[in-house]
Amino acid sequence: MTRLKLESVVKQFGNKRAVNGISFEAREGEIFGLIGANGAGKTTTMRMVLGLIFPDEGKITYEGKPYSAELKSRFGYLPEERGLYPKYKVCDQLLYLAELRGMKRADADRELKAWLERFGVPENYGRKVEELSKGNQQKIQFIAAVIHRPDYLILDEAFSGLDPVNVELLKETIQDLKRRGATILFSSHRMEHVEELCENICILDRSNAVLQGSLREIKRRFPRERVVLATDRPVEGLDRIPGVTSIKRLENGYDIRISDERAAQKILQRAAESAEVTRFEVMEPTLNEIFIKTVGGAAKYE
Amino acid sequence: MNKLGTIIRFTYGSIIRQKSFVVSTVIFLLILSVLAQLPLIISMFSGDNEADRIGIVAPDAARYAALMNEFYGFGGEPSMIIEPVASEAEAAERVENGELAGFLLARGSANINGVPDFEYKSKDALPMKLGELGGGLQYVNQAIARETIGLTAEQAARLSAPVNIVPVQLAGAAGEGKSESEIQLAFGLVYVLLFLLYIGVIGYGNTVATSITAEKSSRVMELLISSVSPMTQMFGKIIGICLVGLTQIALFVIVGALNLAATKDSNPLFSELNINLAELDPMLFVYFFIFYFLGYLIYAAVFAAVGSLVSRTEEVGQVIMPVTLLIVAAFMLAMYGLYNPNAPFVVAMSFVPFFSPLVMFLRIGLGNPELWEILLSIGISAAGVYVMSWIAAKIYRTGVLLYGKLPSWSELRKAMKAFDV
Repeated sequence: MTRLKLESVVKQFGNKRAVNGISFEAREGEIFGLIGANGAGKTTTMRMVLGLIFPDEGKITYEGKPYSAELKSRFGYLPEERGLYPKYKVCDQLLYLAELRGMKRADADRELKAWLERFGVPENYGRKVEELSKGNQQKIQFIAAVIHRPDYLILDEAFSGLDPVNVELLKETIQDLKRRGATILFSSHRMEHVEELCENICILDRSNAVLQGSLREIKRRFPRERVVLATDRPVEGLDRIPGVTSIKRLENGYDIRISDERAAQKILQRAAESAEVTRFEVMEPTLNEIFIKTVGGAAKYE
Repeated sequence: MNKLGTIIRFTYGSIIRQKSFVVSTVIFLLILSVLAQLPLIISMFSGDNEADRIGIVAPDAARYAALMNEFYGFGGEPSMIIEPVASEAEAAERVENGELAGFLLARGSANINGVPDFEYKSKDALPMKLGELGGGLQYVNQAIARETIGLTAEQAARLSAPVNIVPVQLAGAAGEGKSESEIQLAFGLVYVLLFLLYIGVIGYGNTVATSITAEKSSRVMELLISSVSPMTQMFGKIIGICLVGLTQIALFVIVGALNLAATKDSNPLFSELNINLAELDPMLFVYFFIFYFLGYLIYAAVFAAVGSLVSRTEEVGQVIMPVTLLIVAAFMLAMYGLYNPNAPFVVAMSFVPFFSPLVMFLRIGLGNPELWEILLSIGISAAGVYVMSWIAAKIYRTGVLLYGKLPSWSELRKAMKAFDV
């Protein structure tokens, strides 16, 4: 069931068009990936979905209905920049935020303790936010976004400042929430995270949606231009095969770039003639490669 | 409504529990207590002191001293005692020993009665006794003159019989307004309450602006406005801080009243100023709260709007400056009005929003405005609060999401159009 739908949404700030006609939809129980360089329009799009700002053109619907104030308690939001009161205790402000989302204080307290337990930081309950490490602050920020079991969860750079162990922990949690039926809008600079979590994505470049759809299809649309080959001894003459653009020698094989998928078979032939092939794979393009190719190597992104 | 309550409770609770808030309140209460007891403390010190002894060096020193002592004795316990001294050198030495506080030295050129000019020599940089000494010498002068003219004691008494003047306020055709002691009491009370009004509005208005900017700079604002409407949030904040203010004022009033009550019989504040607490008009306090609310609300709305425009707490100071100046202007006007409560300009300003709360309150306390004037002023102020809140909510809604430099007016106007409040 389609939960969230954006149709040709436009947002203008002065002379600058921050979002130029973006459309996409996300189902119940789906993680939708928004990717783009800094300033591409991700945060503006997310703020429009949250009703913080309204689109100048186009429309956003929630289960077919336009935005209304009642939706506020069904939203969960993790902003890109940390947004907590540095001087207040974790419990005070999280219970406050949960209450503002319409939760009962007692329920919120139980949930908060459960979440802190789950993230292995129950001792942070009574601490001030400014006393916590960056990673722990991010965990608290995450709890603030999900404590009230939102139907719409907007995660803007959820993993920033986390170590790999905690990134895994959060990834699992996000997938849990998806299984529980939340519609999650997920943005990240780290393509591997998007690749792992999202089924459908939208790549934004300078306010425009330049590429969108299911990740699998997008990948299929891009030619396979990388061959990984492993052999028991060196293979000569690979560079003379038409369509091979570059060869990188690895410890026990080659990482070959090709401009034409047909070259792959010729590489396999040549390798089989002169050595024993232990591995041969025509690699799918990674999202990272697709992104750089689409947005252009010149576009700076982190 | 439920969420408004949550915001008010959180705002109130978080400020009340701050250590800085508790400490500053306690310090203020201590200062207040000391100030309230100050007249008593001073009188305790001065009560122990004996009258100052002052020498006089003149050809007719003994007579002068006798006359002056007679003069100082009129008011009961004399505050100084004059004694004749033979020479300047001796007098100077006795001042050095501490026996004398100072001495009067005759200096040639006598007036028509033969009383010479005097110098007062002492170790004080700014002698406080000159007025009193002058009074004594004047008495001597009169006595000598009396003798020269040959007036009888009765004639002399007629000449110096006292006259009295008492102010009585007229209130319309109805007759007399406030009595003298009522006016004195009202003056003191209005003065104190105006100060509370002024400090309350400026202080808590500041708190509103600062705490909004702090939420903006810590980016918690984005979470807040995605959960609650900005209008609710702004009013929750304003009301919460208003309650903090009322708590503090209530504490001040209670502690102040306890202090005064504890020393009611011995405190010279009451006896000297002729203040009788029974004459207090309870309506004055009712009006105080009405105008406190109106004044606080209209300024707090402006403070909230202004606070929402800047991104960092360091910048708050600059933008609230004009608002602060407006309050100071209103306060200065009210201070002027204390002495001229019926000046046409003061009367006119009591109907102008931003000025009305302070100025109308002062007129109620010291002048005799008609009831319709009071109601009109309250109505105008309330309308001002409504309009200002609406504008502030618009600016707030826009401002809280703008980061970076201050938006220009045209940018702000354009952005404001995008939101319904």
